[in-house]
Amino acid sequence: MTTSLLEISELTKTFGGVRAVNNCTFAVPEGQVVGLIGPNGAGKSTVVDLVSGFGRPDSGTIMFAGEQLVGKSPDVISRLGLIRTFQTPREWRNLSVMDNVMLARRRFDNEGLWQCMIRARAIRREEESDRAAVREILERFQLTELKNELASRLSGGQKRLLEFARIAAAEPRLIILDEPMGGVNPVLGTRIGDAVGQFAGDGRTVIVVEHNLPFIEKTCDQVVVMDLGEVIAQGPFAGLRDNPRVVEAYLGMDLGHG
Amino acid sequence: MYWVSVFTEAGIFAILALGLDMVWGWGGDFDLAFYGYLALGSYMTFVLTIGRPTPPVEYILGWHLPVLLAVPIAVVVVVAFAAVIGSIALRNLREIYFAVLTLAAVSALYIWVENYTQLFDGYNGVYGLINPGQTTLRLTYNGYRIVLLGVVLVILLLAYLLVQRISRSPYGRMLRSVREDERAAAAYGRKIFTAKFRTYLFGAAIAGLAGGLFAIFVSAFNPSAWTPQELLVIYAAILVGGRGNPRGVIVGVFVVYVGLIELTRFLPSPASRPDFSPALRQVLIGLMIILMLKFRPEGIFRERPGRDEPGKPARPAIRQFRTRVAAATSRAARVSGSPLGSAPDEGGAG
Amino acid sequence: MSTFLVAVGVGLATAAILALSAVAFTLEYAVSRIANFAHGEFLTIGAYAAYSGQNISHQNVVAAAVIAAAAGMLAGLALNIGLIERFRGRSPISVFIATLGAALIVENVLIMIYGAANVSYTFAQGNLHHVGPFLWTTSDIEVIFSALAAAGLLYLLLQHTRFGKAIRAVAQDRTLAQVSGIPARAIVMRTWALAGAVSGFAGFILAETIGTFGPQLGFNFLLLTITATVAGGIGRPYATLGGALIVGLVIQISGAYTSSAYQNVFAFGLLVVLMLFRPNGVFVGRSMTAVRA
Repeated sequence: MTTSLLEISELTKTFGGVRAVNNCTFAVPEGQVVGLIGPNGAGKSTVVDLVSGFGRPDSGTIMFAGEQLVGKSPDVISRLGLIRTFQTPREWRNLSVMDNVMLARRRFDNEGLWQCMIRARAIRREEESDRAAVREILERFQLTELKNELASRLSGGQKRLLEFARIAAAEPRLIILDEPMGGVNPVLGTRIGDAVGQFAGDGRTVIVVEHNLPFIEKTCDQVVVMDLGEVIAQGPFAGLRDNPRVVEAYLGMDLGHG
Repeated sequence: MYWVSVFTEAGIFAILALGLDMVWGWGGDFDLAFYGYLALGSYMTFVLTIGRPTPPVEYILGWHLPVLLAVPIAVVVVVAFAAVIGSIALRNLREIYFAVLTLAAVSALYIWVENYTQLFDGYNGVYGLINPGQTTLRLTYNGYRIVLLGVVLVILLLAYLLVQRISRSPYGRMLRSVREDERAAAAYGRKIFTAKFRTYLFGAAIAGLAGGLFAIFVSAFNPSAWTPQELLVIYAAILVGGRGNPRGVIVGVFVVYVGLIELTRFLPSPASRPDFSPALRQVLIGLMIILMLKFRPEGIFRERPGRDEPGKPARPAIRQFRTRVAAATSRAARVSGSPLGSAPDEGGAG
Repeated sequence: MSTFLVAVGVGLATAAILALSAVAFTLEYAVSRIANFAHGEFLTIGAYAAYSGQNISHQNVVAAAVIAAAAGMLAGLALNIGLIERFRGRSPISVFIATLGAALIVENVLIMIYGAANVSYTFAQGNLHHVGPFLWTTSDIEVIFSALAAAGLLYLLLQHTRFGKAIRAVAQDRTLAQVSGIPARAIVMRTWALAGAVSGFAGFILAETIGTFGPQLGFNFLLLTITATVAGGIGRPYATLGGALIVGLVIQISGAYTSSAYQNVFAFGLLVVLMLFRPNGVFVGRSMTAVRA
């Protein structure tokens, strides 16, 4: 029996008179890949921001693995095991690819100022296991050749892969991908789809916010549809085309082939 | 002896620059208050060592501690002050707002010191710390100055080793990630304010230490010693040497400070105009700042992320050099499509 | 009590000068999106130009003002062409530091020419007048009047001339303005020239009010200018006038009750509070530039 890893309940957020999120309620079962779709302005990105701590809801609750997330700052939420991406890749540009992924390992204990002053050599030794793991991950995403390059020198596609490498390194319980297919060519798209599949295979829970419906259809176990700030449907992708509310919201957009 | 003096002062500024670089170079926050921390460190060192003031001179404390005890206390005071400023400035302000606030803070401090004579005797300043310990060590005046130079350089070396160690550690990496992209850093669990604040205090402590050394070096200190002119040499030096690179920063200070003094030494001042030559020096510094920012914003020595060489945890200099040469020759083939030769962006440190 | 009212009166005169400086600063920001750390130098240049031109102007206030404004205008143009435009596309803090370098250069070139010591520059202050509850010298009245006149002219310029409309378009979005047929670069240059002229004029009346000044004149005024700009709201020329008023009053009133030496400290305190709690300005309204959180 799958329990809900993430439960959003009557979430509301208003920006200057506009209700971006309006009594939004849905639950994400653990271990599944759940799509979050909806037309522009549906409130998807706002929900992602609220869940990850980049913004505080006006009302409603967010439960993640039994913990209430409302009011917590992004770093605290992240430490609970939630990693999110942003609509544009946000690599740390003047750091090497290796450093970018190492940082995702989140060995916070090693980052104390005092620690690094007096135990520098020991810390470096302790880091070796992380380094080995990161090298493997870089290999998986075919970034090994670039590991000592500055992240700013990567191409757009490589930056996307770097993001996935970081996610893999972080070993989170819940991953929220905010439009991972934005501006991505089909070849890279396949690799991203494989990466998502691999995350699911590792037992992680993934939420994918996307406009690219074929991608959603391929990767997601179920889909949550939002429009005008609230959830209008939830269920397997196949059933959406028969859902009148969904069709109306998308009005004429191609909901994909069977 | 002239050179002893020049290099001692440069050494002290280099120590200050190491601290400032942590906040500006690694952290990405352009802080204009740092020279104030040096000044405060100097002032505190004085009033802890020169004994009671004789009226009409006035200043606080007026204890008679040995210098070796006074300097650490001065550092503590500076850190406390920096904690106040940092807790306000670092929470939400960035970039220009941060710079303006730190400038306002140091300007307010300056006005307060200059006018509230009970503090440090206002415009007259404090004086009287002349070669502390000279008689105990049985040195001549010149001998002491040479020893002082040695001490400063040793402290500089120790500071450099410590700072470099931190720079290359996970802490340094984490701090730079905060500089590069705060949102992403927070999304990966980093506490932004804590990281910046801790760095700020540490940097201020280094500045306070430089202040204490400066007090010993100049034996007197008053507001004319910390006008905006004095401030900007340090910033120019860091720009020239390379932000985020401790070695570069030290080189930058020596190059700018010593080099500039030498370059302008032979420029004459018209007899009626003694401030001509120093002013010209400042013009050159201003030009240096602009030119560096325009053409080589990362400085002579770029900030260098650590390279990953499996099985080689330490990085001896020679191996580093050889690896660099090998990597440079093969780099062209690997990274296709990226504009080679373009300087790494200045990111948030810009 | 009359201390208060006298302080308010002087505060209004200070505010008038501050308003001119702040509006110019805001214009520079609006079209180039940078905080110009060398802005104070426009004032200093204006003051020194009027000082140098004494032989020509012979205590003629208008002539001196014109000389100051002209010098400021040239300075504004020079800075824009020589520095600002060359740093287009760079991060704002980079340009900010570059203008810091420029300020250093200008100030020290002035030292090289005029020496570091203060020079004295006196115009007859005129008699004291009771204007309502306030106590002003003729000079004060001239200052306030000229500042109001300049502000009025600026308003007319921005609202009712094609140049003004072009400035507002470029301030909104330079690329879009260019694409719409506005010669953006020329507009930016002319705005800087205008800002420089206004600043030079402000420097002249500042110097005239104080009586003696040195190369640091404008720089000392810079933080106050920034405070006034932040108080009004960056990019909002009209609200900036309100911001200048607030700062001018704060300075003079606090200075009257504590000591004039500390008046700037109060202004800086205000700046800190503003930046922390109301970075978009005290007044809420539309901005020439996009509202930044």
